[in-house]
Amino acid sequence: MLYSLLSGILLAAMAPQLQRVLGRFLVVSMVALPLLLFIYYCFFVPEVLQGQAVVQKFEWVPELGIDLQFRLDGLSLLFALLISFFGMLVMLYASAYLEGDPLLGRFYLYLTLFMVAMLGVVTSDNIFGLFVFWELTSISSYLLIGYKQVDKEARVAAWQALLVTGLGGMALMGGLLLLSIATGSYTFTEMLGQQEVVLQHAFYLPAVLLVLLACFTKSAQFPFHFWLPNAMAAPTPVSAYLHSATMVKAGVFLLARLTPILSGTDLWHFSLMLAGGLTAIIGAIMALQHTDLKAILAYTTISALGLLVTMLGIGSDYALKAMLVFLLAHALYKGTLFLVAGTIDHSAGTRDLTKLHYLGKQMKYSGTAATLASLSMAGVIPFLGFVGKELLYEASLENYIMLGISLLTGTAFAAVGILMSYRIFWRRGEEKTQFDHHPNLRLYLPPLVLAVSGLLLGLLVSVVPANLLQAAVRAVSGDPAMELKLALWHGFTPVLGLSLLTLLLGLLAYYFLPSLQNRATTIHPLYRFGPNALYHKFFELFLHGASAFILWLQNGHLRSYVMYIMIFFCGLLLFTLWRDTPGLDLQERIYQLHEVRLYELVVFFLVLSALVFLMGTRSRLTSIVVMGLIGYSAALFYILFGAPDVAATQFLIETLTVVIFVLLMHKLPAFIYLSHQFRKYKFIAIAVVFGALMTYVMLLVQQQTVDSELREYFGKASYLEAHGRNIVNVILVDFRGLDTLGEITVLAVAALGIFSLLRLNPEKGEKP
Amino acid sequence: MRTIIFATTIRYLTPLFLILSLYILLRGHNHPGGGFIGGLIGSIAFVFHVLAHGSDRTVNVYFRLKLYSKGKPEEDTPPEHMWRLLSVNTWNRLPSYPQPEWRYHIVRLRPAYVMATGLFLAASSGLLGLLRGMPFMTSWWMEAEIPIIGALGTPLLFDAGVYLLVLGMVLKMVFTMSKE
Repeated sequence: MLYSLLSGILLAAMAPQLQRVLGRFLVVSMVALPLLLFIYYCFFVPEVLQGQAVVQKFEWVPELGIDLQFRLDGLSLLFALLISFFGMLVMLYASAYLEGDPLLGRFYLYLTLFMVAMLGVVTSDNIFGLFVFWELTSISSYLLIGYKQVDKEARVAAWQALLVTGLGGMALMGGLLLLSIATGSYTFTEMLGQQEVVLQHAFYLPAVLLVLLACFTKSAQFPFHFWLPNAMAAPTPVSAYLHSATMVKAGVFLLARLTPILSGTDLWHFSLMLAGGLTAIIGAIMALQHTDLKAILAYTTISALGLLVTMLGIGSDYALKAMLVFLLAHALYKGTLFLVAGTIDHSAGTRDLTKLHYLGKQMKYSGTAATLASLSMAGVIPFLGFVGKELLYEASLENYIMLGISLLTGTAFAAVGILMSYRIFWRRGEEKTQFDHHPNLRLYLPPLVLAVSGLLLGLLVSVVPANLLQAAVRAVSGDPAMELKLALWHGFTPVLGLSLLTLLLGLLAYYFLPSLQNRATTIHPLYRFGPNALYHKFFELFLHGASAFILWLQNGHLRSYVMYIMIFFCGLLLFTLWRDTPGLDLQERIYQLHEVRLYELVVFFLVLSALVFLMGTRSRLTSIVVMGLIGYSAALFYILFGAPDVAATQFLIETLTVVIFVLLMHKLPAFIYLSHQFRKYKFIAIAVVFGALMTYVMLLVQQQTVDSELREYFGKASYLEAHGRNIVNVILVDFRGLDTLGEITVLAVAALGIFSLLRLNPEKGEKP
Repeated sequence: MRTIIFATTIRYLTPLFLILSLYILLRGHNHPGGGFIGGLIGSIAFVFHVLAHGSDRTVNVYFRLKLYSKGKPEEDTPPEHMWRLLSVNTWNRLPSYPQPEWRYHIVRLRPAYVMATGLFLAASSGLLGLLRGMPFMTSWWMEAEIPIIGALGTPLLFDAGVYLLVLGMVLKMVFTMSKE
């Protein structure tokens, strides 16, 4: 399984090069990969149907428990098949949709990368693997939404999607880590049996909240739903693939995956039902207010995601079954409708509902696909959508609120379905929309395949998908004996009545749609307080705040930086001293004052007089030289106390500093006292406090008896094992060589930074 | 700063400084010294050269090499021609005024390259241990001792890397700063 993912990443990386070699036949290789993956996953079907989970493990960082462990149970397999099948069609579709785009190779890179990441999300067993792939889907989604980089709208939307889902990604990491602490394992396979442990654990509440945050952001649940409609700025194949069929379902997938581990508390069920229900209602209402095809579809997607989450929240057997069937049905019909919307956009040059009339004559196949998908969406009888809808109603019969939500969304879906098929394709009487060109095979085949598979799966529901869905339901519920019987016809039940009622209501809604859309403008002012507006406000405020803070903190004056560092350091030291309150006993060491040698005193007074002189001087050159003098005195101290290496380094550094200052001298502005006298005293005070603290700490350190083992060890080992007599140097290049390597790397990077700063010419208007 | 005495002295002192810095680098393992100090001394040699003669001249003298070449004349055999090229480019260098019959191209040693080489040496010295199946940066010593240099081993290579990196870094800063 690892190799299948790796091959995808490899192909993704090669896509731009392949475009150069293969030209327009690039699509062949890009379609071949999902096809092969689809076949590959099909081979697992028999094994999974028998109720086994295929687990494969590749060690990655075994010391940290991070392995690439993959687990393929019913749920994962359902998703994996869906992703690879859909990926194949979208790849094919994209080649026609973006025909002639010079960056097509790059597009395929992102798209293939996304597909691999998504497969990784659904098959990962290890939480770290899941996290990595999860973030990879966010990043590739960012790249895909922002694919039309010249559009500002696309860039903003891409940012928004990345930030919102990135927030969720961080929460996910936290939640999964808490879970792994609670259960003591890093894999879902091991977590699965530990529901009791998790529910009792103190970390349950934060873990659930974090996981919910992650899933809600990813699956566009209220109040994070706002990024999804904006993400429609992406090319349509992307919207169809990522933002209706697969990526947004990752949140639902994770919730389903964690259901056997986390469910069972009021917190879990009610928060899921609340968020899902609200999202379903909001999505359904918003969908009827728009005239942009993609916006309508985006809001119905949000609504459908809300329904899926609600079903998970209800958590009864019926609800879980309904969730899975509806998920499959939704992916098929919504993907079709998105692709058809893209075809219309591509051919007619507009996605505005009011400008599209009677398209069916000119695009028969797309029209057929859209009609089939719409019928499935509305829940008409032989389609998979009907089965899903029946189960939905059955699951929500127990609760009137849930029933209301289901009815409302069902009505909206039916209305949108009529809109997407009859209204734009078949309704006569108005002038035909003019086409720029007619769609070719690659534009209408993929949606047709999807729509027909929706129909076939509906007709054969008791045969083909039932087994796989049963395996998936077992994985979600954690109950290996659960049965899933699917049938198209249940007889005349209340649920059938509800289905018919929904269709009628949908027809009504469709007829009153124009007035509904007019009415909707009255609530537009509310958008100013919506999450989208809040997001933009927050973003703006954040940027302003950050730049104000940076301007205050990093004001470009070296003295300020040094001051901040010193103040912060003093603060930390004082805090530590205050907390640990070590006593300083000088009484016993007063005799040490007698041991002070004359030459030490000489150097001391040298430094002191230099300092006093330095504070009074008004010439830059003098101050530099005096600073050099102080540095040399420090080096003298090192020599006196027997550290020749350090002393030599200090001497050289001081020399270099002075020389470099002299080199720069003529470039600096004239030396003037700009600062107020008060500021000078402030600096003096800070310096004195810093020095006093350091002295105090040094005295404290000396009070402890230093463990001399190290000294002996290095003294011996440096000659015997490292063949060197200079302990300092041996430690630097051998014992602690890795540290030194890190230091010199930092040095090199700093040098490059200095170089680029020096090369900068602000007078010419260059900006860093 | 450009007095004749200073300039002349520095011209002779710079190579001496460089030799001293190499010596410091090599003795570092047993006596005070090492790559960092050696690199600083080496860079100070160049810094003083820059102070005395300007960075352009320093670059010309130490970091730029004109490689001469010309097409093979009819009467020369290939080995003769190669020998002539070698001599012209090494011990029998042409005077600096234009030589119409000789083409040349300039090889310039940039400080950044010196830095990069240093980093590469330091990092790859650790790899040698890895290749022998031991943890990264396990040191490895030659048995035989070489006069003056002493024993050879990967720590020396590491130290040489530090030396080059420090040298390259200071040079880069000084060359950039001394330009207008």
